Amino acid sequence: MDDLSEYGMTRTVNRLDPLRHPRLGPVAADPYPWPYDGTVAADHAALMCIDWQVDFCGPGGYVERMGYDIGLTRAGLPATARMLAHARAIGMPVIHTREGHCADLSDLPANKRWRSAQIGAEIGGPGPQGRILVRGEPGWEIVPEVAPQPGEVLIDKPGKGAFYATQLDLVLRTKGITHLVLTGITTDVCVHTTMREANDRGYECLVLSDCTGATELGNHVAALRMVTMQGGVFGCVATSDAVLAATTTGDHHAG
Amino acid sequence: MPAEPLPADHVTVPADPGPFGFVPSRTALLLIDMQRDFVEPGGFGESLGNDVSLLAAVIPPLRKVLAATRAAGMTVLHTREGHRGDLSDCPPAKLNRGTPTMRIGDLGPKGRILIRGEYGHDIVDALAPLPGEVVIDKPGKGAFYATDLQELLEIVGITSLIVTGVTTEVCVHTTVREANDRGYECLVLADCVGSYFPEFQQAGLAMIAAQGGIFGWVTPSAAYLDALSAVSPAAVGATTGPERS
Repeated sequence: MDDLSEYGMTRTVNRLDPLRHPRLGPVAADPYPWPYDGTVAADHAALMCIDWQVDFCGPGGYVERMGYDIGLTRAGLPATARMLAHARAIGMPVIHTREGHCADLSDLPANKRWRSAQIGAEIGGPGPQGRILVRGEPGWEIVPEVAPQPGEVLIDKPGKGAFYATQLDLVLRTKGITHLVLTGITTDVCVHTTMREANDRGYECLVLSDCTGATELGNHVAALRMVTMQGGVFGCVATSDAVLAATTTGDHHAG
Repeated sequence: MPAEPLPADHVTVPADPGPFGFVPSRTALLLIDMQRDFVEPGGFGESLGNDVSLLAAVIPPLRKVLAATRAAGMTVLHTREGHRGDLSDCPPAKLNRGTPTMRIGDLGPKGRILIRGEYGHDIVDALAPLPGEVVIDKPGKGAFYATDLQELLEIVGITSLIVTGVTTEVCVHTTVREANDRGYECLVLADCVGSYFPEFQQAGLAMIAAQGGIFGWVTPSAAYLDALSAVSPAAVGATTGPERS
């Protein structure tokens, strides 16, 4: 108990209040109850919101310009918004990532630029939402449904993986985060690459099936199944309902 | 077009989603995790209930690719997944996950599972590295994380990778994703990568070439061998980077 009366305050703060120290787990997940070590304090697990950008799930963005149905990449938005509210309520850190490049394209590999041009949506070129995948442009912004709040970490990344050429690993270690719950788009590209990077670095990962999406439904399904093989080669798959149900606040189950 | 057009000595291979051009002296053949523990009967892979014959099937075409690549004077790199004997480089989440019959470090039929220096950890005889070929020991699925692979590629001046090995959706895919984010161009040889699961073999290859080749290019080994047959070893050697021994 911290007595704050000497500061002229009558309120006391109980640092051991279980309601202020929620835990996650064990979550009903495939292929094992997540996490491997039973439960994790909510402040040692991060909710990753990967690339919920206009360019990937908004009208006039990069993915729509390539000819894909953004209905598929938007499908996970409502469940992610609910998961985001839950994380904020239980004190679980939230980390947002954005894929994009410097305005001078100095961090854009030549082959990535070339391939995007081949498919008719050259990175750095003009589009209805500004220059495609360029930092600061409207298309690069995160969509309003899952917009970051002040104090939440934003990671800008030049690649598919959120660890390469970013400070994500340093931020996670500095915050004492050991477990990751992944949401975002697209399942088979940026979510999977980030999950693979995290797994190699020893982070215990859970990807949420209803908070992700891909440009092809088949790739979404295959990517989720890949996670579960060989005893959970990259971690586990669960629904956001299962995470909500497995959140405990002291002696009581929130779900 | 790429910022730097390919020089006159480049080779072009028909591939999905489009032709893959490479300069042999700037291209390395990468053989990922062709280890006894994953590929041979009685190893770790089989102990997990997998059908290892699906992986062994890549050895015959990969032998041809390896021989032709060596004959062309190109760089060859091998990787092995494994850990130190004291498991100090094995994350707890990897070691303790799930309830397998055997864990990393346990004594298996080919020595301690996935431990460096053990018989099962080494590369199968049919694809054994030659003296002078680099072997990258990696603790994870990706060949770039916690290894010196990127430094080696930069020293030798490698910008493109011909990717082979196992398994398609795990170590091959993770490594191709890492390489792609670092700006390397990857050509995956479809019949020289293997998976315990046919559906993932197909899905893994399709994901690489999707969206205009979001991670790279895919082609059968026969197309690569055809293109390589025109390469003169002398031309490759003349422009190769620092000598390696």
